[in-house]
Amino acid sequence: MPAREWQAQTHDVWAHEQPLLVHEQRRSANHRRSQALRVFAVRIGVLAGFLVLWSAASGTLIDSLFVSDPISVARSFVQISLDGTLWWHLKITLLEMTLGYILGVAVGVGLAIVIALIWRAEQIVRPLMLGVFAIPKVALAPLVIVWFGIYLLPKVILAASLVLFIVYFSALAGFAAVNRDLIASVRVMGASRAALFLKLILPGAAPYIFSAMRITLPGALIGAIIGEFVSSNRGVGFLIAYASSRYDTAQVFAAILSLLIFGLILNTIVSRLEKHVARWRADEPQWSRR
Amino acid sequence: MTIPASLEPDEKVEREALRTPSVLEARNVYKVFVARGKARTALRNVQLTIHRGEFVCLVGPSGCGKSTVLNMFAGLVTPTDGTILHDGRAIKDVNTRVGYVTQDDNLLPWRTALGNVELALECKGVGRAERRERAFEYLSRVGLKGNEELYPHELSGGMRKRVSIVRTLVDDSVDVILMDEPFGPLDAQTRLVLQDELLRLWQGTGRTIVFVTHDIVEAITLSDRIATFTGVPGSIKQVRNVALPRPRDVFHIHETPGFATIYDAIWNDLREEILKERGTDAGA
Repeated sequence: MPAREWQAQTHDVWAHEQPLLVHEQRRSANHRRSQALRVFAVRIGVLAGFLVLWSAASGTLIDSLFVSDPISVARSFVQISLDGTLWWHLKITLLEMTLGYILGVAVGVGLAIVIALIWRAEQIVRPLMLGVFAIPKVALAPLVIVWFGIYLLPKVILAASLVLFIVYFSALAGFAAVNRDLIASVRVMGASRAALFLKLILPGAAPYIFSAMRITLPGALIGAIIGEFVSSNRGVGFLIAYASSRYDTAQVFAAILSLLIFGLILNTIVSRLEKHVARWRADEPQWSRR
Repeated sequence: MTIPASLEPDEKVEREALRTPSVLEARNVYKVFVARGKARTALRNVQLTIHRGEFVCLVGPSGCGKSTVLNMFAGLVTPTDGTILHDGRAIKDVNTRVGYVTQDDNLLPWRTALGNVELALECKGVGRAERRERAFEYLSRVGLKGNEELYPHELSGGMRKRVSIVRTLVDDSVDVILMDEPFGPLDAQTRLVLQDELLRLWQGTGRTIVFVTHDIVEAITLSDRIATFTGVPGSIKQVRNVALPRPRDVFHIHETPGFATIYDAIWNDLREEILKERGTDAGA
């Protein structure tokens, strides 16, 4: 970072200070590394402890029919991974979820923009939006299936419905949070309404929109899975429902494990994207610091 | 029209001030604010004329409405009664012919220093190549050459302030710069350096500056005239000429002959108002 380089250049060092700096630098680097290592070790420990406990309890405290055991789950996971079953189902869920997520984000942000530009529209539609937001989308799943069939579309719509509202409300909150003085300054510069919105208000709300995008990512997955539960013959939701109807709990857990891994990967992708887009921000949040 | 009350009658200064046409004018301006259902008079019959090319400071007790007057010149606040004129025409909407430097930097955090300076030109529809060139030139004038690509959070407070000042100066269509305690949040040394830079940037440009401050020394250092406000509800109590020669030495302004006299006069105007408000002795 250029600002730091500048500091390093202007900080002049006496010859006998050099070893002190090097020593302290090395010590601090070592300290950070050992801390990170320790955190990692504890994480592994907690996970291992959980697995051991699960193993021990299964078949002794709890009937293994209900909870299976880690070894069986791992075996099942490897099996459905190798024979292609998992991937075949996963890619359908992935498609439903991705389309639903994109649709939800696009409609959420788009709606927020339109509503924000129309006089008082936000105030007028607020009760409606809050009301629809409050309906558990899961309850709508059977209806959505009736309306949109049993294939891709209803799952996409359910996934979108769990993304849309949170993105919409966050975007509006982001628009409202843009500093009023900043708006006044840019207006005095002669910005048109469109320029004001594109150059100031939309980028100003970007952190809000991104945080909503990160929060709603699992929501899109939930929507897709629920849709598959209600009616389908493919997808990870179907795989889970089917395995559980056969009392194959190992496969149920294996499928859930695949969703967990998948969710972590998606979260990493969105975080990276957010960091890239918001690279102008300081390490710590700047919004409270006016 | 307000007749500047000269402390030491300097007829030449006064006559010149009266001869140059007015750029901004506040005529019988009243402002009533309503907060929680209670109406309160913020400005009472403000009369103020700013002449072309002069540097005017507005000083007064805090909350007296100095900033409101500035906001009116910028067209961001409309008077409850009275008129605000720019070049003889009433300001009805946002006044895009002024530049506004606020107390906070108000830079766009996702734009680099260069991008922030370009913003004003973008809004006025200046072409890409030209606005880049001008932004570079102005940034180098305030010693920010080589820092053009830094984001606001990577700049120091003084640097950010330089960017926000340059952002108004870069726009040629702007003939009046309004400044609302721009140096308030800075440390004392940086303040002096920036006062010096501001005077250098302004001198010879023919631009008009209206500068709100609560620092009497700063007001004397910078301005041709100082308008003192009364306490709430604010009105102009006194307008005095600062007949100190230019260019001024910001760092030794105290030693300039005549400084003490003008300082005492302004402080006397102000002290009464502060006393009235506090109900205690603010020191002689």
